[in-house]
Amino acid sequence: MSLRIFLSLIFLSNISYASYKYETIVEDLDDAWSMVFIDENTILFTELPGNLKILNLLDKSITNIVNIPSVHYASQGGLSEVILDPDFQSNNKIYLSYSAKNKNNKSTLYLSSAELRNDRLENRKVIFEAIAPRRTSVHLGAKIAFMKDGTLLLNSGDGFDHREKAQYLDNHFGKIIRINTDGSIPADNPFINLMGALPEIYSYGHRNMQGLIVTSSGDIYEHEHGPKGGDEINLIKPSLNYGWPAITYGIDYSGAVISPFTEKEGMEQPLLHWTPSIAPSDMIYYENDLYPEFTNSFLVTALVSKDAKKVIFKNGKDYQESLFSDLNQRLRNIEASPAGVIYLLTDGPGGKLIKVLPTK
Amino acid sequence: MKIVKYPFAVLSAALFTVMLVTPISSISNLIWLSSVDMPVNIISSLEVILFDFQRMGIALFAVFTIGFAIAFSVAGLVAKFSNFGGKGLYSLAGAVSIGVALILMVELLFQTELLGGNRFLIGKILHWVAGFFGGYFFYTLISKDRTYTFVIRFVGIFYSYILLGLVLSWVFTPVIAAADFGFVFLDLSDNAQNALLRDFTSFFVATFLFSVIGVITLNPSWFFSSGIIYYGAAIFNLIAIYAHGTNYNQIYIGEIILGTIPTILGLTLIYKHKSI
Repeated sequence: MSLRIFLSLIFLSNISYASYKYETIVEDLDDAWSMVFIDENTILFTELPGNLKILNLLDKSITNIVNIPSVHYASQGGLSEVILDPDFQSNNKIYLSYSAKNKNNKSTLYLSSAELRNDRLENRKVIFEAIAPRRTSVHLGAKIAFMKDGTLLLNSGDGFDHREKAQYLDNHFGKIIRINTDGSIPADNPFINLMGALPEIYSYGHRNMQGLIVTSSGDIYEHEHGPKGGDEINLIKPSLNYGWPAITYGIDYSGAVISPFTEKEGMEQPLLHWTPSIAPSDMIYYENDLYPEFTNSFLVTALVSKDAKKVIFKNGKDYQESLFSDLNQRLRNIEASPAGVIYLLTDGPGGKLIKVLPTK
Repeated sequence: MKIVKYPFAVLSAALFTVMLVTPISSISNLIWLSSVDMPVNIISSLEVILFDFQRMGIALFAVFTIGFAIAFSVAGLVAKFSNFGGKGLYSLAGAVSIGVALILMVELLFQTELLGGNRFLIGKILHWVAGFFGGYFFYTLISKDRTYTFVIRFVGIFYSYILLGLVLSWVFTPVIAAADFGFVFLDLSDNAQNALLRDFTSFFVATFLFSVIGVITLNPSWFFSSGIIYYGAAIFNLIAIYAHGTNYNQIYIGEIILGTIPTILGLTLIYKHKSI
């Protein structure tokens, strides 16, 4: 054990190959978790305690949005992701994921739609309640993304204490959910006709998923926190089983073996896994050219490694580079503006919004 | 030895209880893995049980030691100032101690259940039963006079327990173990892969077995054998750095520590034997 500790200190160095210039836009954010660009100069962002705010990048003013859903803010739970409807400019619709107490006073994951009008949410409607009740508000997932066909994907995490349920289709623990924007279930969902399976399930066998993106070509990628080791990036396909916790490259926080197996027929392998863990928190696929070195790369922010990883998959191999480690911050969120400028949210109370100045 | 036996009895009881507790999580996990058609067999079961005993057990050992130290001190006071006492009291104290420790581990650590085997009622009951036996074991240790060999044996067992982690890594997950030591296993030639696995595994298995046999026989030669190997590793580490120009590797500090512990045990046995 002593030998391993000594060695881990030696080999865990984190090297950043390029340095960037940054501009801190705002500070003292209260557990900011997610952001989305309304236009080049306006960001809508969430704070975990239950705040939805608009930031004007020109004068750096922040406006509180009212009439947002009540959330259960505890541990990792609270107001999580916000995204815009593809037709936001015409319908003003947004979607929010959050943890809240269900009728049995257990915490679970919710997805609501609402219209953003005059700094207020109107026509708020719960369109999904996860059948994933838990005592402690952890491992919720909660990322949302639109598929090319206009349906919504939502990460629903394994709830930590309920990890085995990720392998069963009668609950929403450890699943990627696919629904229509009104909460109805798409007719082509993979398990819609399977007896005993919940029809919203799109894929299963996941842990605590945080990154969820749909590229311009329509491919779906997600990443998820492993326990101690075994953080993964996966290419998501309908109906597939991604293995957690029957196969994993990580071990439990207690040191216990979760599974001695890393592969099995019928269970998908990740595109890559990080062992030791970096704690991936968000991801974009950069398709602009303001930072030519990032074009057509995945950019993954991380909490533990306090950097972002540029990841490229080529010929079945992954190539990685550490970015922004000179900030020395736990990075919670990454977004590219419509013009392609990259912004970072740092984690926790007192968080910052940081602009990465374009290199082009 | 009258006073010294108590702290070492607490440590021994904690380690004994760890040995009983960790298989609860391991076996419940293996049962679940079997239920979802994972190819669980004797080798994979052994891997899970031994790894859990070593890796999860280290943290639990610290928790149980603190819990037992408090519980058995209270039990000792109750025994002294009341009519209650004996093995029943210490067994009960052990069970209560483990129960409270497991509740506190949940409430103080993110309110999540870190021990897989403690998520079900039957698992919780088995943990309390393990604590009960831990208390009983403590009572049997303190109810008789103990000699210095009791301390030697505990330190020797704990030393072997630490080495067990390295042994398990090299036996069951050699590629990961090699990576921990800075080798990219797949980049090595076939002969180099063979040499690496062969030599490193035998190095750690040998030192582990020497210390276990030393604990059983109390023959200092076995402890010295283990000590010589680790001192040798430290010396040749420094020679590699200063004579052959390799990178500085501070692991020699760990090697000196791992060499010193069994050497002290061996020297103590010789000194005490002469005194007798």
